Amino acid sequence: MGEVMRRIGCVLADLAATLLEPQERDVVRGDLAECGVSGWRAFLEVLGLVARRQAALWSDWRPWIAVIAIVVPIGLMLSYATRWWADAYAIDIQIYTRLWDISYLKYPGWPRELALVFWSGTLSAGALAGWSWASGYVLASLSRRTGWIAIALFALILFLGTLGTATIARANAGAFAGHFFGVVFPRLIRFCLVMLPALWGMHCFQRASVSRRTLATGAVALIALTAAAAPFLESSMTLGRGVYLSGAVLGPDNAVGTADDLRPLWPISLVMVWPAVAILLSTWRRVSVSS
Amino acid sequence: MLLGEFEYLMLTAAARLGDEAYGAAIRQEIEDATGAPCAIGALYTTLDRLEDKGLIKTWMGDPTPERGGRPKRMVRLTPKGVDAATSFYNAVRRVSRGVVWAKS
Repeated sequence: MGEVMRRIGCVLADLAATLLEPQERDVVRGDLAECGVSGWRAFLEVLGLVARRQAALWSDWRPWIAVIAIVVPIGLMLSYATRWWADAYAIDIQIYTRLWDISYLKYPGWPRELALVFWSGTLSAGALAGWSWASGYVLASLSRRTGWIAIALFALILFLGTLGTATIARANAGAFAGHFFGVVFPRLIRFCLVMLPALWGMHCFQRASVSRRTLATGAVALIALTAAAAPFLESSMTLGRGVYLSGAVLGPDNAVGTADDLRPLWPISLVMVWPAVAILLSTWRRVSVSS
Repeated sequence: MLLGEFEYLMLTAAARLGDEAYGAAIRQEIEDATGAPCAIGALYTTLDRLEDKGLIKTWMGDPTPERGGRPKRMVRLTPKGVDAATSFYNAVRRVSRGVVWAKS
């Protein structure tokens, strides 16, 4: 038992050491090996150094800007948006898989309807991934060495931000009775359409693997995509039960986000678009500096 | 430049160790002298601070087998560090003059 606990401590110490700079990580692990410190004591020693290093880094303003401008607002928005995407498309997926039969093809509008569902699903999924990638990229640029703490906080807000709430799609209880669509699917969507792109965005910044031209083009495309996906974003903020950001005031046309709904929600899109704007400005600034 | 007591302990340990001054050895010296544990977090953040103040110079040493092939962070006092430690030591001596540490 003692040996198992010691090994767990060693594994945790190695994990904690990954938060240190590579050169310091080697030195510290060498010191601990030389002093014969291992297990839980090694873990606490490394954790102490990591805490001091992080405290020093967080005395700068940039990590706080990352938290205030990206982690909290965009993390929360994406929590709402993925909640809506997962629930809305859980119903569509089940309609076109479980409930489909050959008589559907007799309905004259079926190609258009299917194309519309596919197009809007792809558009909003692309927007989710794009917002997440851009957020990860800007997060890494604002807080290079605090990035992992910031992304962990981002994940926490993404997964827990809408805990205890539901979308109106859940009124269709039959569609969410199963464990997959009721529990697994929303988490899977958050992981695949938000966390993976955000981590990839961080990785791209750290490796400087994206050319300036590609960055600028991608940022412009994301701004256009945000404009196209604005109704989806607005729906995700309003069509909920329990705690939600803004009550739906649909107006006579019974649609969210239109001029008659007495509560235009387009400013929400501005929040989502700012990482793309920041990327665009940084590429423009680099062009100015190099010329 | 006035030092903190831990900074003074580190400068003194590094001076005593000479060419063999590096993280783990300084830590051992301080623990032997004070009888108290020296946290690695305190050690390396203080080394950074002393280097920022220009009181020490550090560089990466060669890896050794007893360290699992990992390098050492070697430490050497700069002339400014020697001056700062000397000032601190003299200040402690002056302020202690005539004081007898006995419980009444």
